[in-house]
Amino acid sequence: MLAASTTTLPLFLALSACAGPNPLAGPPPLSADVRALLRAVAAEQNLISLYNRTMAAYSALVPALTPLLAEHQAHLAQLRARIIEPPGKSVPGKVTSKPAIPGTQAAALAQLRTAEQAASTAQLQRLATASPSLAQLYASIAASEATHVTMLDVRSSR
Amino acid sequence: MPKIPATIGELQALQAALAAEHAAVYGYGVAGALLSGADQARALTDWQAHQEARDTLRAMIVKLGAIPVAASAGYQLPFPVRDARSARRLAAALEDGVTQGYLGLVAVTNQTLRTFGALAMLPPAKRAVAWRGSTVAFPGMPSAR
Repeated sequence: MLAASTTTLPLFLALSACAGPNPLAGPPPLSADVRALLRAVAAEQNLISLYNRTMAAYSALVPALTPLLAEHQAHLAQLRARIIEPPGKSVPGKVTSKPAIPGTQAAALAQLRTAEQAASTAQLQRLATASPSLAQLYASIAASEATHVTMLDVRSSR
Repeated sequence: MPKIPATIGELQALQAALAAEHAAVYGYGVAGALLSGADQARALTDWQAHQEARDTLRAMIVKLGAIPVAASAGYQLPFPVRDARSARRLAAALEDGVTQGYLGLVAVTNQTLRTFGALAMLPPAKRAVAWRGSTVAFPGMPSAR
């Protein structure tokens, strides 16, 4: 089997006073790959929030959703590990999307399914600007989220 | 089938994915013989999917002017496979191997091949879950688990 390239190439958040012609001009703009990585981090945070709020609303779903939530937490950890935060700065940790939890369990599962499918598609769209190592991480997370869609379909059909 | 110019690295990644598909086609032959009923039917469907994927990769490699890697006469199974339970485990392991094989294509710089590899990871990742009954955080990327 082919061993996947797993070289970790952390991406620097261009927020520090690194070398540049004019240190007073403010931080340089973030590169496309760093912006994509920050969007991926935000998307994982939003998914984790959605899982937590769904599980809080429907306790019967906790056993089925807990493993999927744990995998999203692992995704977030891997994505965040690709960013080196300069001293005094940190990657934004707030949830940027907080849709209401539907009034029925079936609708809540359907909302999670839609979110997983959208997240998987978004990961694939990030491939173009990514380094080889980061592209592999996005592709693996996309595949994981696609399997979550399958698991949620199975749960919905019960 | 994507139309692509290829470097040596890209060809190597295609050949590695093809080798993983060859292994899956062989392995499902072993697993299928020990399964019955719905599991055997699923193994047959999955075996056919791997044959189709193998043929696609072969055609891509030929189109690039290279000779596709051939299947081995036999393969070392990752663990003893003697009953239905171990056959299901083998099927999951085969799918993991194929997912990992396509992950190599995602590391190339050619965007068409990169996208092809990422999309090709999805079916085996889903089939692995179906056989295993549970998900993994990083399909095809065991070092990240």
